[in-house]
Amino acid sequence: MGHSMDTSSLRSGVQRGFLSDFQRGWAPLAGVVFALAFFVTTVLLAQQPKPSEYQVKATYLYNFGRFVKWPGTVPAGKGDSFSVCVIGQDPFGSILDSTLAGEALDGKPVVLRRISKPQDAGECRILFISSTEEKHLSEILTALDQSGVLTVSDMPGFTRRGGMIQFVLEGDRVRFEINLASAESARLVLSSELLKVAASVKRNGRSGD
Amino acid sequence: MSIHTDNSISRKLTWMNMLVSGAALLLACASFITYDMLTFRVTMVRNLSTQAQIIGSNSVSALLFNDPQSAENTLSALKAAHNILSAGIYSKDGSLFASYSRDHGTNIQAVPALASGQLEIHWFKSKEFVLVRSIVFEGKPSGTVYIRSDLEELDSRLQRYVGIAGIVLVVCLAAALFVSSIFRRAVAKPIIRLAEVARAVSREKNYSVRAPRTRTSGELAILIDAFNEMLAQIQQNEQALREARDDLELRVKERTAELEDAKKEVEAFSFSILRAKQELERSSKFKDQFLSTMSHELRTPLNAVLGFSDLLTEERYGPLNERQQRYVKHIHTGGKHLLSLINDILDLSKIEAGRLQLTIENVSVPTTFAEVLDTMRPLADKKSQTLLREAPSGLSVLADPTRLKQILMNLIGNAIKFTPEGGEIRLSASPLDGAVRVEVRDSGPGIPLEEQQRIFEAFYRLGDVDKKIEGTGLGLAITRRLVELHGGSLGIESQLGSGSCFFFILPVAGAVETRKDSPSGTEIQTREFARILVIEDDRASALLLQSHLTSAGYDVVLCDQPARALQMAAELQPSAVTMDIIMKPVNGWELLSAFKTDPRTAQIPVVLVSIIDQPATGTSLGADEYIVKPVQKLTLLAAVERCLNNRKHVGRTRPILVVEDDAPTREFVAELLSKSGYTVATAADGAEARMQVAASLPELIILDLILPKVSGFQLLAEWRTNSRTADLPVFVLTSRDLTAEEHDYIRTHSVLLLQKQQAWQETLIAQLRRILPGVLSEKS
Repeated sequence: MGHSMDTSSLRSGVQRGFLSDFQRGWAPLAGVVFALAFFVTTVLLAQQPKPSEYQVKATYLYNFGRFVKWPGTVPAGKGDSFSVCVIGQDPFGSILDSTLAGEALDGKPVVLRRISKPQDAGECRILFISSTEEKHLSEILTALDQSGVLTVSDMPGFTRRGGMIQFVLEGDRVRFEINLASAESARLVLSSELLKVAASVKRNGRSGD
Repeated sequence: MSIHTDNSISRKLTWMNMLVSGAALLLACASFITYDMLTFRVTMVRNLSTQAQIIGSNSVSALLFNDPQSAENTLSALKAAHNILSAGIYSKDGSLFASYSRDHGTNIQAVPALASGQLEIHWFKSKEFVLVRSIVFEGKPSGTVYIRSDLEELDSRLQRYVGIAGIVLVVCLAAALFVSSIFRRAVAKPIIRLAEVARAVSREKNYSVRAPRTRTSGELAILIDAFNEMLAQIQQNEQALREARDDLELRVKERTAELEDAKKEVEAFSFSILRAKQELERSSKFKDQFLSTMSHELRTPLNAVLGFSDLLTEERYGPLNERQQRYVKHIHTGGKHLLSLINDILDLSKIEAGRLQLTIENVSVPTTFAEVLDTMRPLADKKSQTLLREAPSGLSVLADPTRLKQILMNLIGNAIKFTPEGGEIRLSASPLDGAVRVEVRDSGPGIPLEEQQRIFEAFYRLGDVDKKIEGTGLGLAITRRLVELHGGSLGIESQLGSGSCFFFILPVAGAVETRKDSPSGTEIQTREFARILVIEDDRASALLLQSHLTSAGYDVVLCDQPARALQMAAELQPSAVTMDIIMKPVNGWELLSAFKTDPRTAQIPVVLVSIIDQPATGTSLGADEYIVKPVQKLTLLAAVERCLNNRKHVGRTRPILVVEDDAPTREFVAELLSKSGYTVATAADGAEARMQVAASLPELIILDLILPKVSGFQLLAEWRTNSRTADLPVFVLTSRDLTAEEHDYIRTHSVLLLQKQQAWQETLIAQLRRILPGVLSEKS
């Protein structure tokens, strides 16, 4: 471009020369660069494995924490950190650890705790109840009554049985159901945004959708 | 009142107003619209950005919980905004999550990724506006919103504004027009009126008008005042100018009157000059007439005296005793002296009066010398003097041939007179630096220095009165004048006891056409002259013969190669041939035989001219004449004449008519002619001559010019225009002094001009012999 403008003797042809220079010199280069970028992107995307069911569930578990407001009177033990607890046999493996590592919710660092007794759940904000605890569910829910813990599980009939959020699968897609009455009775406020994307919401013991 | 003027300033003012207000309005509208458009665009960006934010925050959960349906629900709220063409939500990894299109076309383009930390970008494309905003939820980028909007609102806004601006412009211009009409009244009107006044002033030159004052003050009022003041000044100046002009006119009139008077005086004066000039011309004419009459009146009786005394000495009508002879001779001598005296006096007075006209032409010096010496030789022979001449052949001068001969003859005559017997007179010419010096040197006693200056005076006689030397005493005076008329001067070198030398210088001739020279004193036309072939291998002899023959008017052809002579004669057919006998390679005897045996030349008369004295042989071979050298001119001419006469011997009896009013002269000429054997008729005046010629054609006419009733000129003119007499030979014999024109006229219309002041009798007879060879009556 510069050399073209230096040729003052071709002043009348500068405009045309500039355009033709650009088209001839730069358009192919840009094309090559664009094609290369597209190729690299597609390869990278192809290499990224489709996220597994529990990876999605782990992310959701974290995201729930962002759409839920806990009552002001939280247990004393809940003060310094945001505890995400798993009770029963942990189906996530290390996925949940890596998902939550370094994250923060409600202005506090997220801490993952694996507990075995429902009594230990008093300090948790979000409690994932493994389907292995199906037999002890009533016991666990009763223990947590009104303690301000968001209960999440993927066992069938969880919300029907008094649980707050239950993962459901629609084909490959992970979705969730909400039992708003259970949450309200635990004085938790669920964001309308959350309700909006829920597969179904039960209000006052009824399934409302 | 002119519309044009009205137009110019008013229209200019109006245009100015309109242009200024129009330009201002346009500029204002343009800047307002530009500002509004820019503002509107900013607003649009802000609105779209807000919309993107709302969509983004409403789509966070959908994105986070992977619910495109929910996101699309959110997007479908954009239906309310008609300007949104399409919108889309992209997940964090850049893939399209949900989309919306107003016209249900899925024309969603790939979105350029936002740089990290960049929240929003937007750009305007040709007819649309695109905004991309990142969705941030709780400090984390969760996706991207893309909104594409059309610019219809912007465009319609612009159109609306342009429309409004147009209306405003029209209204404002109308207002400007109205305002300018007010201006016109205030500014243009006075100027227009001023211009009208100025035009009226310049057209009618009326400086008394004034431009009306306006109520306004300021520059315009100053201008009008200044203009009026200027007019007043001009009026004043013009008044002064007019007065000055009137004054000037008056003065011019006075001067014209003065000039008129002066002119009248000059006219009167010039009239008197004219009269004086006429008087002068008349007297000059009278003088001319007097001279002419004198020459005629004096010479005519003298010619009678000389002619008859000459005839008396011939004793034709009875013998004279010795005393009578002597007296007649005295009469003749006295008459001749008187004639030469009269000729000289008339010549001199003609020269003094400036009436002498020279006919300047190329004159061959050797030929002139030969002719002059031929004429003068008899005089010199009487005193046994030798005449010599020296001149380079081919030398010629610019001179009047007749006058040049007169000069030379005068000088030689003087030399002969003053040189003792047996002396020598030498005539010579030499080229001298573009001129020719001519000398006449004698071996006489010389002229003393004190007399050298006086000899050129009229009537001065050299030497003692008691010395008996004849002459008029005018010769040298005339000669000197003639030389001076030629542009030269006559000089003398002399020492007592060692001869004298008269010399003069003439301009050398250039390549001027040579007029045919005529022999001394007579004007002869050559057309009818006999041609003589001279066969002579000796150059000197040939030239001598030629000189003798040409002096008598013959046309001479020289032949110096005898071998070619016969051929030449056959071609030329000459009237006669002269032939030498001693020649190589063919001698005269052989040539004569050849001539007489050749039929082409047998009829040509032959004159043998030889040193051998054998006339009998010549006659036997057929020669007509025989002359023994040294050749005498008269013998030669007589012999040639006899040959010609014999050859054309035709007896004609028509007379020669002599037209002459003077009875003695008439009788003398008649006597002269009849003595020479011609038949003569006479006429005493022009009318008689005319009658006689009309009655019967004469052989030849001898015509005087000054005749009663009808002049000789008139007769000549009549005869020449009549075909019957056109070829009639005429000799003019006159005592009148002729002007150059008259000379020319007579030259062309007559055969011969004889002037009585010269010796004319012999020439007349000689020319008659030649022109009329066979007319001699039998008795002679």
